[in-house]
Amino acid sequence: MSAPLVLGLMSFCFLFFGYLGVPVPFSLMAGVFVGAMLTDVSLAAIVQKVFDGVDSEALLAIPFFLLVGELMSSANVVVRIANLSLSLVGHIRGGLSQVVVVFSMFFSEMSGSTTADVAVMSRALGGPMKREGYSPAFIAAIIASASTIAALVPPSITAVVYGAVGNVSIAGLFMAGVVPGFMIGFGLMIYCYFFGPSGLRKPRAPLRQVVFAAGDAALPLMIPVILLGGILTGWFTPTEAGVVAVVWIIAVVIPALNRGHLRKIPYDFCLAGLIFSLPLITIGAANAFGWMLAYLRGAIVIADWITSVAGSNPQHMMLLLVLLFTVVGDFIEPVPTIIIFMPLVNALTQAGDINGVHMGVVLIATLAFGLITPPYGLVLLMASKFVGVSFGKALRAALPIYLVFLVTICFTIYFPKVVLWLPKQMIPESVGCFKSPAGAGYICPD
Amino acid sequence: MTIADKLVLQRQQHLKWRALDRLEQGLMMLCGLLCFGFSLSVMFDIVTRTIGHPWLWLQEVTSTLFIYAIFIGAAVATRRNDHLYLTALSEALHGIPRLVVEIIIRVVVLGVAFCLIWFGYVNFLRGFGSFRLPSGTPIASLYAVIPLSGVLIALFTIEQLVNGIAAGFDHPEPPDDELPIAAADSRFRTRARP
Repeated sequence: MSAPLVLGLMSFCFLFFGYLGVPVPFSLMAGVFVGAMLTDVSLAAIVQKVFDGVDSEALLAIPFFLLVGELMSSANVVVRIANLSLSLVGHIRGGLSQVVVVFSMFFSEMSGSTTADVAVMSRALGGPMKREGYSPAFIAAIIASASTIAALVPPSITAVVYGAVGNVSIAGLFMAGVVPGFMIGFGLMIYCYFFGPSGLRKPRAPLRQVVFAAGDAALPLMIPVILLGGILTGWFTPTEAGVVAVVWIIAVVIPALNRGHLRKIPYDFCLAGLIFSLPLITIGAANAFGWMLAYLRGAIVIADWITSVAGSNPQHMMLLLVLLFTVVGDFIEPVPTIIIFMPLVNALTQAGDINGVHMGVVLIATLAFGLITPPYGLVLLMASKFVGVSFGKALRAALPIYLVFLVTICFTIYFPKVVLWLPKQMIPESVGCFKSPAGAGYICPD
Repeated sequence: MTIADKLVLQRQQHLKWRALDRLEQGLMMLCGLLCFGFSLSVMFDIVTRTIGHPWLWLQEVTSTLFIYAIFIGAAVATRRNDHLYLTALSEALHGIPRLVVEIIIRVVVLGVAFCLIWFGYVNFLRGFGSFRLPSGTPIASLYAVIPLSGVLIALFTIEQLVNGIAAGFDHPEPPDDELPIAAADSRFRTRARP
């Protein structure tokens, strides 16, 4: 059987089984096993590829970031961050919707998980928003949109996966994600101010109130400082920064803020031990799928098609790739998408002489957008379920918000100097700079 | 309800044998232990490196616990239906169509589990020819978890298949347990209370 036919059959099996209700890792593996049986690839080699996909030091960061989110949620300390957000922006037009966005900007820098973000926000802020008269559809839309910030800003789990699989600096991706992440955040705030429900008008919090709220939230807010500080100073790898953050929560945050929760920590570990295995086994299965895609030269065929349309213009290449990822991201989750298409991304990054970190952050922003688009907008689905509104209504409320994401993605493509400015300043090596032989300073590619 | 009891998911009891509840509980505890274990080993790795006496074998311990946790977690998630799904099409169906779709789903998972068992075992045997550094342990010690995970996935899938065919897959479920997150107070407060 010809390679394109095998590829088509593999993809069909994966999507058919997946949409029938077979769990994603098993539908991916089923597709690859069917494909391998039609080629000279042994099934033992496919099982080996599943194993190789998770046997990576960099992926070890994922359980720690998820554990941070799990401990923060179950120890009930996130309410302090919500109160700080309220004191900062609760008086602005849009009220609690502004609070949702600011809360997400804080919490995203602790958990790195969009799904953790959406679960925490729906439960902590969904109720108060309903009581203040916001429509459930708008609540689900704004919570889902705001939670996508977690896919971009450090410690984004999507960035960890992209960096580990694509051999791109994870710290560089973290830093490069800050500009698009905050663009989405501020874009959502502007949208809520001009076009969202006005909400209940609250008096501006006096400075004393803000200081109290900041004091209350100070211990949890140290987590991003530990994560970023450790990584940027070179003291820790992202994995080690994650474990130090876990130790900080267990040794300092929980004893100080919710001592009663200490006896429940073993339960949190058990749950975290289960939760982190879910994306990771999917990564293993997607690795085998991506390997077959590369083995059957599927990546080269798509890369050739893109370069034939886009020529050598890197922006056009990225736009076509964004288009492809938008379509694929509508059907598949970000993590398997990244891994399956990494051979294609690598081929185009080389062909267009594109900075690996720049390409990474553009694609991560695109996949973040895919989390709120139909038919499989995972976080919008979750938010509508938590808030108690139909997916269709939440989707209609989210449609105008898409503009914020489209502007951010285009900006990220066309202004690489702005996006890469932060990693260039903080970790120059991450974006291809090297130390000047003359002494001080770095020499960076254009 | 004790913490240990809460580790067994109460959803979809009609698809479960109570005898396997203890296994689910044990596997969840094992997941927790493995997670705690590799957290501790990474911590020790940082500490020993910082004081200038790195224990190189710690990285081997970390990767072993990490890999075991992934495959054991994937197996127990099969019983709890906790995996990532593209859709829950089957839940929208009723009667015979639902039965047929649910059976197809389990048959596909069983097929994958069989491949993990058989070809994982082949890799396990081959793994005695390669060794991990610095300990020199055969890499088969890592590969062993793949067929083990396959056996558990197959066991839990057969459990669902047998019970589903006997009692039907279509049962109303109670709402999910929610995390005990306090809703934010939308009025200002002076101090947060623990």
